Amino acid sequence: MGDSQYSFSLTTFSPSGKLVQIEHALTAVGSGQTSLGIKAANGVVIATEKKLPSILVDETSVQKIQCLTPNIGVVYSGMGPDFRVLVRKSRKQAEQYHRLYKEPIPVTQLVRETAAVMQEFTQSGGVRPFGVSLLVAGYDDNGPQLYQVDPSGSYFSWKASAMGKNVSNAKTFLEKRYTDDMELDDAVHTAILTLKEGFEGQISGKNIEIGIIGADKKFRVLTPAEVDDYLAEVE
Amino acid sequence: MSKSVIEMPPKGGFSFDLCKRNEMLAKKGVSPPSFRKTGTTIVGLIFQDGVILGADTRATEGPIVCDKNCEKIHYMAPNIYCCGAGTAADTEAVTDMVSSQLQLHRYHTGRESRVVTALTLLKRHLFNYQGYVSAALVLGGVDVTGPHLHTIYPHGSTDTLPFATMGSGSLAAMAVFESKYKEGLTRDEGIKLVTEAICSGIFNDLGSGSNVDICVITKGGKEYLRNHLQPNPRTYTSSKGYSFPKKTEVLLTKITPLKEKVEIIEGGDAMEE
Repeated sequence: MGDSQYSFSLTTFSPSGKLVQIEHALTAVGSGQTSLGIKAANGVVIATEKKLPSILVDETSVQKIQCLTPNIGVVYSGMGPDFRVLVRKSRKQAEQYHRLYKEPIPVTQLVRETAAVMQEFTQSGGVRPFGVSLLVAGYDDNGPQLYQVDPSGSYFSWKASAMGKNVSNAKTFLEKRYTDDMELDDAVHTAILTLKEGFEGQISGKNIEIGIIGADKKFRVLTPAEVDDYLAEVE
Repeated sequence: MSKSVIEMPPKGGFSFDLCKRNEMLAKKGVSPPSFRKTGTTIVGLIFQDGVILGADTRATEGPIVCDKNCEKIHYMAPNIYCCGAGTAADTEAVTDMVSSQLQLHRYHTGRESRVVTALTLLKRHLFNYQGYVSAALVLGGVDVTGPHLHTIYPHGSTDTLPFATMGSGSLAAMAVFESKYKEGLTRDEGIKLVTEAICSGIFNDLGSGSNVDICVITKGGKEYLRNHLQPNPRTYTSSKGYSFPKKTEVLLTKITPLKEKVEIIEGGDAMEE
């Protein structure tokens, strides 16, 4: 970062060998809104709560689930602005890969590059770690994949995972309900039920967001009407 | 703390370090290597439902045809295509780069790309390189504001026109357009006119030849008609077949089989780790 008073790294080791800033970043993630992802046999679903700070906020202007490439989508728990920055960088990296190799970026590659960016911010001068954990859902030649990326830059592939406020209950619920041969529709229902578990208030198509990718390899966010249909099926 | 930092000019763009050397070599009679150009006839016109782009398919390297069926109509966005004339590498690189930038822009805005956006990105780039990026383009597409057709010159100037031609065959093609173009053409009339214009370039210009490629872009989508017309078919096999002269006599036949010679060494030492 050069010639400034903050050219040292703000993330430094504690005597017990922990990086306290990253622990705090994980706490920031843990107090964010619940989000989860489930990998089915023929696709992946990611979902999140979309609790707006007031009823006056125009909910159509907020989109938490974003598309990185036509076949990879991402959702987060934690700080929204940090997420925006990561999405922008990831999209650019995916596009650069495509320009160089003329093939769509494989999901693992994009996750690796995004994780590398997040790790940079734990070891550079004058910056703080990102306050988000990401759930990346994609479908490429290796089939459907779901990855979680943490503020430290570590990433794991999951069959089903949850992050944010209600994480322990949600994970227990998912462990009970997950089966390896689940279809995409079942996965969507399970995702909705998991969100419902810890939801305060009335769940509807306007206060949750669901993104799916199926064997057609096209990631899309469901419209509120479609979400309401799935909700009705679950009732 | 004060640091003395040597201000380096930003890296990037062209390096003109070897220009003096090249001048000196040219004086001594060494000619620079020729590069692949798309001699080309490229055209575009606006019809009632959108835009039709057309191009020939010959790529030349000096006096030699190096590609008889190259693609000169490049993808920019799902609703925007660009024909390129000039140095083939320049047109491909510049359209590829702007196509990438448009894709990122689409992600950030969530909207369909506009033709003027592609136009501005291209002309800015070309102007920055002061004409050294030898790409003359015909850019056409349909967006929310309607159908658009533009020409972009290597130095960065642009025109907005209802019908346009570029390349070495542009005069031949323009002659056809000027006499036969009218507003409100239907799709079939438009395709016929574009084909005629390209054929005029193919037959009357040495730098253009082979087949006709067409791309029709409308609000609903696009149709890429690769090799829509092939007025110069190449027959590779002779209809009579090949027969070799039977006058050579066989005097002697001797076959020596190659024998394998493998020596087995008993009790040799194993390789050291």
